[in-house]
Amino acid sequence: MSDPLPPRTALLQGEAVEIGQIGVAVGGGVLRTFVGSCVGLVLHSRSQRAAALAHVMLPSSNGRGTPPGKYADTAVPETIRLLGEAAGEPGLACTAKLVGGAAMFAFQSGMPIGEQNLAALERILADLGIPITGRACGGGHGRRLAVDVVSGLVTIQTAGHGTEYLK
Amino acid sequence: MNSADQDRLVAAFRRGAEDASAALSKWLGRPATLCVDRLDALPISAAAAVLGSGDEPICGCAMRIDGVVGGLLLLAAADAAGLSLADTLLERPVGTSIGWGDLERSAVVETANIVGCAYLNAICAALDPSETAGILPSPPLFLRDYPATVMEAALMEQPAPADTVLLARTEFRIDGTPVGCGLVFLPDAAGLTTSQSPAPGPRGRP
Repeated sequence: MSDPLPPRTALLQGEAVEIGQIGVAVGGGVLRTFVGSCVGLVLHSRSQRAAALAHVMLPSSNGRGTPPGKYADTAVPETIRLLGEAAGEPGLACTAKLVGGAAMFAFQSGMPIGEQNLAALERILADLGIPITGRACGGGHGRRLAVDVVSGLVTIQTAGHGTEYLK
Repeated sequence: MNSADQDRLVAAFRRGAEDASAALSKWLGRPATLCVDRLDALPISAAAAVLGSGDEPICGCAMRIDGVVGGLLLLAAADAAGLSLADTLLERPVGTSIGWGDLERSAVVETANIVGCAYLNAICAALDPSETAGILPSPPLFLRDYPATVMEAALMEQPAPADTVLLARTEFRIDGTPVGCGLVFLPDAAGLTTSQSPAPGPRGRP
């Protein structure tokens, strides 16, 4: 197994996953994105050295479903499907990490959208029996994250709130 | 939205920029203008990148607007530009501020309050000639974060985040020179629908 990229390098290189999209890679490389109240859903298969990153915006598609990465209820099954397809092993076992779900602007009444996103993802992952092995969630600040595809190491950096790693 | 609606909105946003320019000039004590850069309907991925996609944090303020023209107003600047603006307001040599203390934050928040309210009041007056409704801005919220996360969070403040987003951008110029600072307004789609009524007249214009 190759060593993961140094954190600073990992955050600056790799495939950028845009808002509402899903990125997948196998055998090497880095997937990265920025999240505020959105949630970065990371799925990783250690055995297949494969990872996927979905940038989830909203908890429910309410029947819309496109792009699938935009909504928690469509993003999870689609990310699992793409990961299995890329690894050549449909239905492969994987673990999950969640990053984001912040409440950057405290203008909305009720449950912040970030918390709603996290709750939806946690419920769906639990229903599917996918363990969540790391979380860097909540707070009032954005995060940029980079996923090392082989190791599954997630590097998270913030503007003024330090750097964090999810192994 | 048809082209007539878009023209009406552009005219309203230009009027907003004029009034905001006057407010900013008075606030700074020197000639300043806000130039309406763009009014665009953008795919959400493009909208998420309008403040840039770089790794350096930006600073600014966010204001939630309720009323006839609801939405979210962002004052955003590169860190250095924001600190320079604070120095100007605090009547200190540019370069004095090296970090975001209470004083510097307060200067930016007050700028957002003054300029943002002038901007939005003028837009509101243009789109609601009957003056039956106004706007209710929240207190400005100071922020310092990555440009992509600021914009993403702003998009998520929309009542029903859509695949395409309308946004207006303006640029600050002081003494005729762009200073790396501007406003981004994301009107709520519902608010715009209700404000697409009679064409604005010259009421209250100098």
